[in-house]
Amino acid sequence: MSAIAHEVEVLDPIGLHARPASQIVKLVKESGLTITIGREGEEFVKANSALMLMSLKIKTGEKLTLQIETEDSTVAGEIAGQIQEFLKG
Amino acid sequence: MSVAQGTVLSGLGVGLNSAVGEVHIVKPQAPLPEWTKSSKSVDEERSALKVAIANVSENLDALGVRAGGTSAEIFEALKFLLEDEELFEVAEGNLDDGWTAGAAYGMAVNTFAEILGGDPDFDERVKDLQDLSRRVQADLAGIEMALTLPEIGRYVLVGDDFSPADTAQFTKAVVGVITLKGGPTSHTAIICRSRSIPAVVSCGAAADLENGDTVLVDPVGDRVVFGGDETLATKAIEFVALNAEPVIPVRANIGTLADAEGATAETKAEGVGLFRTELLYLSANTAPSIDDQVASYSAILAAAPAGPIVVRTIDAGSDKPVPFLNMPHEENPSLGVRGYRLIQDHREFIEDQLKSLELARVATGREVWVMAPMIATVGEAKAFADLARSIGGYKVGVMVETPSIAAMIEQLEGVVDFVSVGTNDLSQYLFAADRMNPSLGALLNHWQPGLIRTLARIADGGKKAGISVGVCGESASDPAFAVVLAGLGITSVSVSKSQVTVVRNALSSLDLGACKEIANKVLAATSPEAAKAAALDALSQL
Repeated sequence: MSAIAHEVEVLDPIGLHARPASQIVKLVKESGLTITIGREGEEFVKANSALMLMSLKIKTGEKLTLQIETEDSTVAGEIAGQIQEFLKG
Repeated sequence: MSVAQGTVLSGLGVGLNSAVGEVHIVKPQAPLPEWTKSSKSVDEERSALKVAIANVSENLDALGVRAGGTSAEIFEALKFLLEDEELFEVAEGNLDDGWTAGAAYGMAVNTFAEILGGDPDFDERVKDLQDLSRRVQADLAGIEMALTLPEIGRYVLVGDDFSPADTAQFTKAVVGVITLKGGPTSHTAIICRSRSIPAVVSCGAAADLENGDTVLVDPVGDRVVFGGDETLATKAIEFVALNAEPVIPVRANIGTLADAEGATAETKAEGVGLFRTELLYLSANTAPSIDDQVASYSAILAAAPAGPIVVRTIDAGSDKPVPFLNMPHEENPSLGVRGYRLIQDHREFIEDQLKSLELARVATGREVWVMAPMIATVGEAKAFADLARSIGGYKVGVMVETPSIAAMIEQLEGVVDFVSVGTNDLSQYLFAADRMNPSLGALLNHWQPGLIRTLARIADGGKKAGISVGVCGESASDPAFAVVLAGLGITSVSVSKSQVTVVRNALSSLDLGACKEIANKVLAATSPEAAKAAALDALSQL
C-alpha cells in the first residue's frame, strides 16, 4: 500500500509532550491505519505509541513528516489536519 | 515492646479536641520483589502481565472518577502510558528472555525512562512511568499499594507521616492521628486541623504502640496517653467572648469558590487574609485567558466574606509546578525560583494575573489587596509594588517569609501598604529546616522563641513604617498563639475556615493590654515548652 506524506509543525510551547502524544495515539488507533511519524531524514516511529512519540523529543517549532498508509487522500488530509490541531497546544 | 497503662508519649498537638480510639498502625509499604528469571512459561507470564495492567488500569479509572474534573484527564493520560503498545512489546521481549512479568515490565519502563531521561520536559512523565511500573509490579506480587482503612469503628492511625495520597483515603473511622515524624506545618497536620481530626505529630515514642492498643490523643496536652480515656484529656482554655469584636480582625484563608462561600456562610470572618490563587492554575495545561481568570476571580471575590480580600499572586515553584509555566527541575525547590521570582521568566503571566484581578475588583466593587510571595529584598518589594500600582487600584503588599525581608520591615515605609507574615515558610527559612523533612518537625513549632522574637521585630518594624502587619500562617490557628500575636503588635490574623470561630472567641475574651502582658511573658521564654506554658498559665489566670 502506498503512503501519503503530510508535514505538520509543533506549535505547542512545551513541544510534543504527553498530552498531544496520547491524543495522536488515540486518533491513530481509531483510524485503524498504519501511520509513522518523524523528522525528515531520520528514522520514523509508529504513531501507535505515545512513548515512542515522546522519545523523539520534538521541541516547539520543529517540522515533522507523517506517513499515512492509505490510498484515500481525503482521509489522510483529515488525519493530518487533526494531528496539526493537537500540536497547537 | 509493650507500653504500661497511663504512659505519656509526648509530641506536638494539632487541634483542640481529644479522641480515644484503637491503634491502627500504618506500615511503610512492603518492598517490591527482586527481578528474577521465571520458572513459568512465557505465555503464563504474558497473561499475568496483561491481567496486572488491566487491574492497574481499572484502579486508575476509579481514581479518575473520584478526582473528577481536570484531574480525571490526568488519570486518562496515565492510562495511555500504562497501556502503551511499544512498551508492551519491549516487555514481551524481556518475557521471551525468561524474566518474570514484573521484571519484564519494570525493565521495559526503565528502557523508556532512559530514552526520555535528561530532558526536563519529560521528568514528570518519567516519574509517572516509574509509579505505574511499581503499581504493576505490586499488583503482580499481591502487595497493597493504596492505604486500606477500616470504614467503621474508632481508630487512631499511627505512622511515620502521611502523604496527600494517604490523607485523601482517611475514612470516618479515623478519629485520631499520631505521626512519629512531621511537624505542625506538615501536610498531615494541616489536613487534620482543617478536618478537625485530633492529632499529635512529631511523637517518636509512638513507635512502641501496637495494633489494638487503646490510646487517648490529647492535642491540647501535646501528648498521647496509653490506655487513657477522655477524663484525662487536657482541657483547652475555654475562651468566652466578652466583647462583640476581637482585639484585631480575624480573616479567613481561602483557595476556591467553595472556601469563599463556606467562610461567608459558616463564620464571622472579617474578609479574607489569604486567597491562594495557584489552585486556579495547578491543574490547567495551558495558561487560562484573562477572560477566564476574571470570571473565576469575580465569582470568588463576590462570594467572600465582607471586608478586605488579600490576594496572593501565584505561589508556585518546581515542587508545586504549574503545567504551562514549564518549570525546570531544581535541587532545592524551596530555595529556588518560586513565588515572585517567577517574574524572571514569566512576567507576562504575573501581569495578566494582576490585570485579571483588577478587572474582577472593578466588576465586583470589593476591596482588594494584592501581595507577592517570596520577597527577599526591599528592591523586589518596590518592583512588585510599582508593577501592581501601574495595573490596578488595589492596596499593595508583600509576604514576609524570608528572614532577609523580616529584617527590613521598617524600610518598607512608603513602599508597600501592608505586609503579611507566612509563618510556615518563615519558620522553614529561619530555622533552616525543610518543611517536607519529617525529622525536623520540632524546629517548626510556632512556640519556638526564635520565631516569636522575629515576629515581635516584624510587628515593631510595621508600626514604625506605618504599615499593617497580618499573620496568615498555621500558627494563627492556635487561639492562645493568636492572643500572643495580637500582644506583639500584629494587626490582623487569617486562619482556615474551621478555626475562625475559636480564634475570634479567644481574641474577643480580653483587651489589647492583657494580650501585651501575655506576649511579654512569652518573650521572656527561651524554649518552646516554656513559651507555651507561659502563655497558657497567664491565660488561665484571666
